Amino acid sequence: MANMRLDLREEAVKPNARGRAPIVPGNPEQSEIVRRIFTTNSMQLMPPASAHKTLTAAQKDTIRRWVAEGAVYEGHWAYEPLRRGAATASIDGFIAAKQHAAGLTMSAEADRATLIRRLALDLTGVPPAPTEVAAFVAGEPYIKVVDRMIASQRYAEKQAMHWLDGVRYADTAGFHGDNPFPAWPYRDYVLRSIHENQPFDQFTREQLAGDLLPGATTAQKTASAYNRINRVSAEGGLQPKEYLAKYAADRVRTTATVWLGSTLGCAECHDHKFDPFTAKDFYSFKAFFADIKETGLVPDRGPKAWGALLDLSSERDRARRAPLAAAVESSKKAVEAKRAASKRDEKALLGAYEKGSLAWTYQVPVAASATKATLKVYNDEPAPGNIGEAVTEPKPGDGLIVASGANPDNETYTITLEPGAGRWLQLGVQAMQDESLLGLRIARGSDRLMVSEIEAELLPERRKLRFSTAASSIRFQAPEQHPMNAIDGNPQTGWGASTYGDAPVTSLALRFETPLATTAQSRIVVRILHDSEFRKATIGRLRLALSKGLAMPVSEQRGAKIQTGLSAAVVAALKKSKGKRNDEDQQTIVAALDWTSPAMEESLTALKRAEAALGAVDATAPRVMISESVKPEVTRILNRGNFMDDSGAIVEPAVPAFLGKVSGTRLDLANWLASRDNPLTARAYVNRQWRLFFGAGLSRVLEDLGSQGEWPTHPELLDWLASEFVESGWDRKHITKLIVMSKTYRQSSTGAASEKDPENRLLAKQNRWRVDAEVVRDIALSVSGLLVERFGGPSVRPYQPEGFLAALNFPKRDYSASRGDDQYRRGLYTFWQRTFLHPSLMTFDAATREECTVNRSASNTPLQALVLLNDPTYVEAARVFAQNAYAGGGSPEARIEWAFQRAVGRAPSARERAVLLDLYKSGLRRFDSDPSAARRFLEAGEAQRLMAPPAELAATMTVTRAILNLHETITRN
Amino acid sequence: MQTRRAFLNRSAAGALGLTALQQLIAKGAIQPPHHAAKAKRVIFLYQAGGPSHLETFDSKPKLAEMHGKPMPESFTKGQQIAQLQGKPLICYGPQLGFKRFGKSGQEMCELFPQMGSIADEICIVRSMWGEQINHDPAHTLMNTGSILTGRPSMGSWVLYGLGSDTEDLPGYVVLMSAGRGGQMQPIAQRQWSAGFLPSKYQGVKLNSVGDPVLYIQTPDGLGAGGQKESIEAIAKLNREAGKTLGDPEIETRIAQYEMAFRMQTSVPGLVDMSKEPASVLDAYGAVPGDGSFASNCLLARRLAERGVRFIQLYHRDWDHHGGVKKNVELKAQEVDKPTAALINDLKQRGMLDDTLVVWGGEFGRTPMSQGGDGRDHHIKGFSYILAGGGIKPGISHGATDELGYAAVEKPVSVHDFHATMLHLLGINHLRMTVKYSGLDARLTNVSGEVVKGILA
Repeated sequence: MANMRLDLREEAVKPNARGRAPIVPGNPEQSEIVRRIFTTNSMQLMPPASAHKTLTAAQKDTIRRWVAEGAVYEGHWAYEPLRRGAATASIDGFIAAKQHAAGLTMSAEADRATLIRRLALDLTGVPPAPTEVAAFVAGEPYIKVVDRMIASQRYAEKQAMHWLDGVRYADTAGFHGDNPFPAWPYRDYVLRSIHENQPFDQFTREQLAGDLLPGATTAQKTASAYNRINRVSAEGGLQPKEYLAKYAADRVRTTATVWLGSTLGCAECHDHKFDPFTAKDFYSFKAFFADIKETGLVPDRGPKAWGALLDLSSERDRARRAPLAAAVESSKKAVEAKRAASKRDEKALLGAYEKGSLAWTYQVPVAASATKATLKVYNDEPAPGNIGEAVTEPKPGDGLIVASGANPDNETYTITLEPGAGRWLQLGVQAMQDESLLGLRIARGSDRLMVSEIEAELLPERRKLRFSTAASSIRFQAPEQHPMNAIDGNPQTGWGASTYGDAPVTSLALRFETPLATTAQSRIVVRILHDSEFRKATIGRLRLALSKGLAMPVSEQRGAKIQTGLSAAVVAALKKSKGKRNDEDQQTIVAALDWTSPAMEESLTALKRAEAALGAVDATAPRVMISESVKPEVTRILNRGNFMDDSGAIVEPAVPAFLGKVSGTRLDLANWLASRDNPLTARAYVNRQWRLFFGAGLSRVLEDLGSQGEWPTHPELLDWLASEFVESGWDRKHITKLIVMSKTYRQSSTGAASEKDPENRLLAKQNRWRVDAEVVRDIALSVSGLLVERFGGPSVRPYQPEGFLAALNFPKRDYSASRGDDQYRRGLYTFWQRTFLHPSLMTFDAATREECTVNRSASNTPLQALVLLNDPTYVEAARVFAQNAYAGGGSPEARIEWAFQRAVGRAPSARERAVLLDLYKSGLRRFDSDPSAARRFLEAGEAQRLMAPPAELAATMTVTRAILNLHETITRN
Repeated sequence: MQTRRAFLNRSAAGALGLTALQQLIAKGAIQPPHHAAKAKRVIFLYQAGGPSHLETFDSKPKLAEMHGKPMPESFTKGQQIAQLQGKPLICYGPQLGFKRFGKSGQEMCELFPQMGSIADEICIVRSMWGEQINHDPAHTLMNTGSILTGRPSMGSWVLYGLGSDTEDLPGYVVLMSAGRGGQMQPIAQRQWSAGFLPSKYQGVKLNSVGDPVLYIQTPDGLGAGGQKESIEAIAKLNREAGKTLGDPEIETRIAQYEMAFRMQTSVPGLVDMSKEPASVLDAYGAVPGDGSFASNCLLARRLAERGVRFIQLYHRDWDHHGGVKKNVELKAQEVDKPTAALINDLKQRGMLDDTLVVWGGEFGRTPMSQGGDGRDHHIKGFSYILAGGGIKPGISHGATDELGYAAVEKPVSVHDFHATMLHLLGINHLRMTVKYSGLDARLTNVSGEVVKGILA
């Protein structure tokens, strides 16, 4: 507790131990604060010299006078009860009154074309279609347009963007490895809630305490993901207690900012210096969330990944899954029965190992080629490599194949072996790690390895070699990447690796259906197909091997003997006496015996097939992290926020003391947050909404309605709007509509603000600003015709420069851009990688959502120019835009006119036309004289191409590209 | 290559563009400097992962004596601990030998002979200490002066305070390299973020392999000529619209496009090291385009020459939980020569006096062993190297206790280090503040004192 508080009157008038009071109302001479500001004693002067803050004579006098007049305190505006105001009140009434008092008047309404574009960008984030513009310019009633837009799914998408910033929604953990976690169904929940205009109080209850609601529905439980989408860490060596404290503090900060517009977060280490929040308030607030099941280290791989999850499979999915799961169960039983009935000869296994009959025989390919890449076989020369000390460098003669050169999204490797005479039971494929490989250090790109199929053919017979079963060395095998997928004849399925393990070599063992007899003349052609949707998920470095025995797929750390066919762990376990074996040893031995016993093959293969089938379905099952309520942890006040200090008092859940007495569960908190008793929530909400339509809140510091924030320019208006919100039943669309229907909203934004009000706080005109990051993308995609609109769903990946994620690890990975329609979704759906948010979004000030953000800056930087000019997404948009302009027919002038109108919603002036026509002609000259340049320019992006004369189309593309780069295109006027 | 003036004279309203450009050349907020500056720029050679001070710059014979014995509890009781939680804490003697170098006789690991050869130029601070024991938050603390997310990085603060000396390049540049050994711990983009300062002060990552700056390449087929024409057309159109709209942001946007174009030309030239003399390349051990720490050090010098204010190199990775001996050997091979070459190169060009060079990571490593041959994260005491820019050369400052556990003599906190860095740049850390969240926020948070003992 602070020793002196001036923010609370009853504290300020209390005399101290020596009988002196900071304030004696009516008596400035006796008031310590007056004495201190007027004293000539430099030791006692307040503020102290070290603060470098001085009071003017006028300011000192004001304080003195105030004390003399009784030291009247008014509560801080934000904490006072809402004042509804007169029945005849309106937004325009409040605005006009202040303007009038300042000698200002409203501006005329914006012209219709500007107005509808503004409405569309503000309400939906997508510019209006030309038909919409025409209809409105021709006289369609404004209210009809408003109603239509607010009812649209686009409106929900636009509003959701801002909500997601506040609740810091993202698709990844946020710390350290920053791996993807299942959160997108929560975004779907938010979208539906806004679209269906769910009352905000219910929206609040469901997010904070959806799991605690009686008869909680799937949607309500999904909503409770709000409590789980804070940043979490899986870093080995973190101290769980520290991170539990971090997560809880994040929840307090976020909830207090979004609902209360308050910086309660400042009170984590001490009483708030400016607002009436104490440290005890912080921890009491935190205590509401103490029942949420979580761990300090949140695993990001394996069966326990991400803690409490909800399976969102539909009834149909479950119906599909049930028989597959049953098949797995019965196969397991069959395997167990077979084990019991078979001779499990450990000694024989160990013997075979020691004799070398399980060994892999590495093959030196006689030929290796790929569709586009270059495959080089390292035989006599050592292969270049960099993987630290972990991997045994292949010796010359080991037949390492290294892919280099062209790196296409999909690839087929064709490798020819000359094994010599022998009788072979298995083919082995080993992917070797290298630091140069971006995808888990084994793939040439992407965030995973995906091998669709492995085929083999025996020459000269030209006999297709079939495989009966497959196994891999991967510890955390993702369900959809089962080894059997590599030999199932289905290119849609694949084997691969996608979670980080620690193995420098990843092996796959494929068993021939029948033993393969080869002669000295025999050749085996192995084809490795990488045909998945994951780009560049291709093996970077590999070796092939054959085994005469039933060798296991092995991978080892630190220079072990991979080729032996049994891992060191298996051997060590086998050598332990039965009594000394632990559970892991047992499992290891069982697996080894299974694979190396021919008798087990049939039942084991049936089980693997069943697992692969089930895995394919499981992989697509949507899941979401949810709140699961358990017995609450004890919550203590942490002195100075120090998680190691256990001496602080235990606190019970409570809202900040000065705001009321509410305790209990998260549901009680939620009920209070959105209740009439709480003046902050409605104010915070409508204040943020105001900014979306005017560029700044009525109180400009959106995250802080406390004393360090800004006094609202129109406190009565803010209160009136907040009251409307509460009394309408927390109707969000009602607030939106009130705002956009106002005259104030519809004013023109051209020209400069008045000198009397240079920041236009009195709104004598509308404001203009550069649209949000996601909307920059949405505009380009929609006007060019690329935008694919689908409401909700998993996150998608726009094109991104290669290697952007190079500084990530656990696992090391790159990015695989979405294909097809998913490439052209709204910016809202972009995969939100917290530590490396998509650079185009970052450049336009998107929030990383590592922390709660309720405001964004609007910077103007050269990096933005580089994005709009050179980012393949925008270059492709320019191309498709040009194609549509071209396909529309007409002269170049007509196409230019059409494109310009499409992008900015108005016809170009004569001068603008001339500039664009010049650009077109110049482009045409250049591309006419260099047709290959035209073709290359037109190669941008994967969207459908138009058959058209390249020079004309390319020249048109320079025009559409310029239009997409206009300031006006990305400005909301 | 076009000069800026020529470019501007070609545009329709050249005079207007000039003004906006000059605004762009961010004059720093600290005008004039609080006091005479010694350094104009900073090159931070950030050794990511936490280099073991015990195998680099802090010789601990007593720890060698205690090798294999339990770590005395008096040192470790109540202290934060990372992966060694719950494990027995056993002393692990220094794995590499130390030597004295130069006239100053400064002691450092003998595997760093090149840095040893410039011992008389450098200052070894052995008493650094931090507060966060995991990588991510430790980077955050070292970069932003706070364990809370969302604060500006030190590069952003410096750029904010002093502005930029270059019109063609970002004023704050980040480079990364990865070598052998270590665990390649991830480093998040927010480590060079501008936080609540305007985003123009953010660090821009320069890639030493591939496109140097994201989206710097003109789309294939358009050519530089086509790009220039497009930008000129865009400027004309923006200006035209500006007449009706009266939007002052338009001028800024026009200027940004001009800057972008200049970056497109200057950046490739910057990273093209093929014209550097072979003797220079050899001195660093740099091979143009190999993306190594050595190449990045040479790039850093080129950036410094071109007026970049804050240059931060991350070299991954020193996270030696296992095999610390072998792995420090590997790292020494990667960093010893280029670090010395950079300092010598700066000196030869007369730039060392006004360039502050920093060498160090987010924490050190434990005197206790991990996994039999490694060391865990350690925050109570670690070493940093400083050189140039007003730092007193040829001295060591501060010391850890006899086991290399805690900084006991003249401890230097992260805030002290930041305060000192700002001081050398002519900035009083207490006076460069920005109002944020009710605070007069500053890089040094709420503490930090200039370390007078290391000032020249």
